[in-house]
Amino acid sequence: MNNPADATGTQRPEYIVPALIAGLAAGVLSGIPFVNCLCCLWIIGGGVLAVRLLANRTPGNLTGGDGALVGALAGIAGALARGFMDILMKPVNDALVRRMQDSLPQFSNQMPAWLPSWLRDVVARGTPRGFSLGLFFLNLFVTAAIFAALGILGGVIGASVFGRKKTPAPPPAQAPQAPQGPPDAAV
Amino acid sequence: MAVPPPAMRPESVRRAVRPVFVLACLGTAAWIAAIFLAPYLRSRSSDAGASFLYALFAPVCHQIPGRSFFFRGFPLAVCARCLGIYVGSLAGLVLYPFIRGFSRIALPAGRLFLLASSPIGLDFAGGLLGLWNSPNGLRFATGLLWGPLLPFYFIAGVTELLLWRTGRRKPSRGLPGTRPGPGLDNRGEKNVK
Repeated sequence: MNNPADATGTQRPEYIVPALIAGLAAGVLSGIPFVNCLCCLWIIGGGVLAVRLLANRTPGNLTGGDGALVGALAGIAGALARGFMDILMKPVNDALVRRMQDSLPQFSNQMPAWLPSWLRDVVARGTPRGFSLGLFFLNLFVTAAIFAALGILGGVIGASVFGRKKTPAPPPAQAPQAPQGPPDAAV
Repeated sequence: MAVPPPAMRPESVRRAVRPVFVLACLGTAAWIAAIFLAPYLRSRSSDAGASFLYALFAPVCHQIPGRSFFFRGFPLAVCARCLGIYVGSLAGLVLYPFIRGFSRIALPAGRLFLLASSPIGLDFAGGLLGLWNSPNGLRFATGLLWGPLLPFYFIAGVTELLLWRTGRRKPSRGLPGTRPGPGLDNRGEKNVK
């Protein structure tokens, strides 16, 4: 589905739906514990997926600019999904931290001397901190900026892979007819 | 020979590419500095600053200490593979003016992308399937191989967006797009080694 032509008569593709679908998928996957081991590659992959979906809906070719735009939107959608996943997964993450906090003191005697003190801080700090709305929105804003940059990267990579459509081959040019000679001339 | 339209003139492209390049360099350098700053602050017992920086990188990296390099006794804010990607990106930015220049924008060839992506893809897939457990040095190296290609995509895409916004280039439906045509082309792909 294309937007109406703009003032220059140029058709702009519909960026929002592919960006939302791809961003949601990338944001959710990047927020699941253990699955998130792909790090930033989930969001870059989300940008690539957004371009793939956009290419399916757009008749013409896609440029790097198209990829950057849909990738940035996918990144922002991914940040929102990730924020939602953080809220959803908070009990799981808190349980993981709590389990670590509970188990570490039992082995404190066996802890090597070189164990970093930040790990001891985790133990000393006690239960995980509660939810802060201000911090959540600050985190969401920063994450959106970072994910948008990573989404741009994925989108441009996607445009280089999926952006070019195969144009139908032109009809074969008819060979010029050879001057006709007598029927038995070729024999 | 036809005079190219304003959008394709080297000076127009140069005006758009330069600020994108400079911002990308500053952003990447600051990003890498922040990765090292987090453990540094932790070692100086500046917990608020360190916690903020570790939290900043948490959405983009699992931050598992066993898969991270340590600095001043504390893990870096990202894992070894991510660090390799970011350091590789900075190296790619340093090489960008020599390989691509500022007078045109172009995307690397798809084959080159596949080639650079195969080590990091194989290493990740092998680890995921339990076939091997790569040491951090190898994780870093695979990221380092992949990273240099990324600025070539990022700068090309953002520059084209900038050209749209300033009206020097319009979205090109029906034009050859990312392939040889106005704006993005890959005539320079052989230059990216």
